[in-house]
Amino acid sequence: MMRINCPYCGEREHSEFTYGEDATRTAPDNDAPMEEWNKFVYERDNPAGEHIEYWHHAFGCRAWLKVQRNTFTHDISWVGLPHEHPEAES
Amino acid sequence: MSGFRHGEGRLGDATLNFTFDGKPMLARAGDTVASALLANGVEVVGRSFKYHRPRGVTSSGPEETGALVTIGAGGKADPNARATMEPITKGLEVFSQNCFPSPKFDLMSVNGLAGAILPGSLFSAGFYYKTFMWPAALWYKFYEPSIRAAAGMGVPPKVADPDIYDRVQSFCDVAVVGGGSAGLSAALSAAQSGLRVVLFDEHNDLGGQLLNEANSEANTDLEQWRADTVAALKAASNVKVLTRTVCWGRFDGNMLAAHESVDGKVRQNYHKVQAKKIIIAAGAIERPLVFGNNDKPNVMLASGARRMLNHYGTATGKMLAVFTNNDSAYQTAFDYADAGIKVSAVVDSRQYPGQALVDGCQSRGITLFTQSVVTKAKGWQAVRSIEIADLAANGQSVSNRRRVSCDVLAHSGGWTPQVQMAAHGGKPPLYDKKIAAFVVGDQAPDTYSVGAAEGENGLLAGVAQALHAAKAACAELGEEAGPITQPPQDRDGATNIVPLWSVPAKGKQLVDIQHDVTAADVVQSHQEGFISVEHLKRYTTLGMANDQGRTSNVNALAIMAQCRGISIAEAGTTRFRAPLAPVSMGGFGGREIGKHFKPVRRTPMQEWHEKAGAVFVQAGMYMRPQYYPQAGETIDDAYERETEHVRKKVGICDVTSLGKIEIVGPDAAEFLDRVYINMFSTLKVGKARYGVMLREDGIVYDDGTTSRFAEDRFFMTTTTAKAGPVMAYLERCLEIDWPELKVRVSSVSERWGAMAVAGPDARATLTAAFPSVDFSNETFPFMGVVHAEHNGAKMVILRISFSGEMAYEVYAESEHATDIWQAIIDAGQVHDIVPYGLETLGALRIEKGHVTGAELDGRVTLGDVHMDGMASKKKWFVGKNLKDREGLVHPDRPQLVGLKSVDPRTPISTGSILVTDANATAGADKQGWVSSMTYSPELGNFIALGFLRGGKDRIGERIYAAYPVKGRTVEVEVVSNHFVDPTNERVKG
Repeated sequence: MMRINCPYCGEREHSEFTYGEDATRTAPDNDAPMEEWNKFVYERDNPAGEHIEYWHHAFGCRAWLKVQRNTFTHDISWVGLPHEHPEAES
Repeated sequence: MSGFRHGEGRLGDATLNFTFDGKPMLARAGDTVASALLANGVEVVGRSFKYHRPRGVTSSGPEETGALVTIGAGGKADPNARATMEPITKGLEVFSQNCFPSPKFDLMSVNGLAGAILPGSLFSAGFYYKTFMWPAALWYKFYEPSIRAAAGMGVPPKVADPDIYDRVQSFCDVAVVGGGSAGLSAALSAAQSGLRVVLFDEHNDLGGQLLNEANSEANTDLEQWRADTVAALKAASNVKVLTRTVCWGRFDGNMLAAHESVDGKVRQNYHKVQAKKIIIAAGAIERPLVFGNNDKPNVMLASGARRMLNHYGTATGKMLAVFTNNDSAYQTAFDYADAGIKVSAVVDSRQYPGQALVDGCQSRGITLFTQSVVTKAKGWQAVRSIEIADLAANGQSVSNRRRVSCDVLAHSGGWTPQVQMAAHGGKPPLYDKKIAAFVVGDQAPDTYSVGAAEGENGLLAGVAQALHAAKAACAELGEEAGPITQPPQDRDGATNIVPLWSVPAKGKQLVDIQHDVTAADVVQSHQEGFISVEHLKRYTTLGMANDQGRTSNVNALAIMAQCRGISIAEAGTTRFRAPLAPVSMGGFGGREIGKHFKPVRRTPMQEWHEKAGAVFVQAGMYMRPQYYPQAGETIDDAYERETEHVRKKVGICDVTSLGKIEIVGPDAAEFLDRVYINMFSTLKVGKARYGVMLREDGIVYDDGTTSRFAEDRFFMTTTTAKAGPVMAYLERCLEIDWPELKVRVSSVSERWGAMAVAGPDARATLTAAFPSVDFSNETFPFMGVVHAEHNGAKMVILRISFSGEMAYEVYAESEHATDIWQAIIDAGQVHDIVPYGLETLGALRIEKGHVTGAELDGRVTLGDVHMDGMASKKKWFVGKNLKDREGLVHPDRPQLVGLKSVDPRTPISTGSILVTDANATAGADKQGWVSSMTYSPELGNFIALGFLRGGKDRIGERIYAAYPVKGRTVEVEVVSNHFVDPTNERVKG
């Protein structure tokens, strides 16, 4: 069981959370061309290793969190709020 | 009859009765089923999986491959239990498996003969893949039933298990897996630090291989050390000792999963233990040697035979022979001889076992055959003699065969460290030539594997490793492990093994005894091209029985490596996955079974519906009234009556299951403008508006009605199915995408009971029910919103319609919702108000052409459901950028249409495929599908909604709705999806 250290609730089992999405992407401007939006919605990396993702503490405080997780080992090395960045921590 | 009671071992003299296949037998307290059966002289315990060969006890531990039995009867029956791991309890019922009429005389054993006559055809390697190829028609008629009857193990019970299973979630600092000398030492040393320690062992008695040692005077001090260490652990308040607990898997975040068997009200506990550090002291198990008939009853692993004698006081036979390729099995011969049991031979495939062992045999009068092998075990059902032969120096052939008498053959092919748990950490094990087996090697983080599990068979050396690990684990947690008393004796544990992977002689040589996989099957697998160990496993089913290849894996891949001319290290192992031992499903279910399996949501009006005789249907998690039958009515009668009544007079329906979300804050309107395609900032206070949401990719996500209660306060409803997802989505938007918006969302789904009141008499009914509210068209028009109170209960009334009739949705505080419902029912009596269920709700909305989840299935665009005109051009909203992609606006897309069966009384099946040819076959041009259907009392016709390619422009066309599964094709007319009141007059009336 992966364990996620929710900044509000403390360390909890991952079954309390639901996976949201890739947190490394930034949405294009609202008036950006369709191609850019198409890229944003459909094209994403599938890294074997460190990845930054959004998780929702659905069965806890319901906060959306940013999580740095190794997709290969499932190690979770950092958890923060959506506007925070793991680099800032280290 | 060969086994018998001999000495006390470590058991007391209390006796217990049990039965085997109904036959009464006597056991001692502390016996396992296996030791008790042997002590009662039982040799054949069951029959094998495929060939129905007789099988007996092969070990005294979790590696048991022969004695699989069913424990208990009726709902308590536990099939495929390893007799070596099941303690005898008073009156226990034990049954043999896979044999008819009895294990000694089994009709199906002809399978074994067929295998001999037709080698490579029936049940040999890959038989699943070869046998079941074709003709496919024979699969159900012949292959499956005949193979099911012939192959298989225990039979699962057909009645529910009456026992209780629990789940236990716990945390510890140091978890120790395995309670042998290394595990006990590690646990006690770590416990001195004050950290929380959990020790798991699957046996009833702690001590691991110390229990193989004779409980004799010479070992008194060693036995005392074991007892003292166990007592110290059990006394320590920071240590939890879990015996009869198999730790079967290690998962992410250092979570260990274990099943504990307990006696009492609860049968098993499923433990999930979150550990900071894991010390794996799971020990090693002995491997069988691969020779002819090595699965015959009374062929046992040497360590198993030894424990039977020394621990359970059960001699496995009256005359023992030993076959080995290493030193460890000699001790079995010596212990049996010292206990006064005749040992007819030790057969050692090595040239020279060392002087000490030669002397040991000589002093006990045991004949030693070196550079020799057992070519086959002989005897009708169990061993009565063995055939031995000289092994050529190159190991490739045998000569000089002769017979040696014995009634039990103890064998040892070396020791296999139990690396599974460590390997769950993700690192592949490494081959260690010295012990001819795989060891963990590279440790996963936070894991220390020690002792025999790491290939260290020496007693003191293993304990030293354990103490080292305990020290390191505690130190990393900032504490100091303490000293312990060392074991007073040593066992050097050197096996001096010279591998012998299979005996070079003909005969049925079993590699995987549980799954009847032979050495010949491994060779055949190689010949047929399945040479990787993963393919070998799947092609032959090797290692897929409940021992998960504990005894067979190393032998099989060594034989495969020989075939391929590569080293064992190169061949590698298959990937180890949890569970490493058989575990019951009961533990996983815990108490969440039956009606506790899934929560059931009920609306506040549930009791009212029950009293009214409603038939319920599960919609998502909600129990909702499906229809309210009157005497003698079928479901069709009932919903047609309810539907007609709503159109003519008035009805009321429980719609509590809709999602309800309050959206509050100065930027609430702006927020809604972004998530809905249409404008909400222009919505006036006291008004409601229908809204549609898209996903980022431009596909329709959800729809519903949102009302404006105040400038900064909105009330959103979602579909029942999307209540949860939409809430999470809105939270995501606010926290991740637009944190600058000052908006809060909260789910108020539970706060309000909701009811729809629909029909021409709806206004009159509500006016009578709530006289303080002015329901006139002028003050309360279509899409109006009114806050009201009734007897102190707060209400919100929306004038919206899902049915196409004049209708209101009344939201009442949950605790008062039934009172409000009743007030409406009472006031509606004069109009013969009827409650209506989900069927009628569906019929009404289909007649009106409204879409629900059946239509908004995650594939449709706004254009497909004729709502593209609703999308605002004045603002940005989610999905706007991609909704007009070429493929999403193509005129040939399937578009929402109404369908009417040409013969009015012929139903159209939901899920039908729309085609233009009445005799369409599989290859036909599929032009669309039917998403929902109903009978329309208003039209006197079966009608449906569906999606038809270019449907917008095909009104009036006649096509066919084909339902090939039921061989039904219905001619239908394409019509507008608004069957009833297309100009929307009624809702505004």
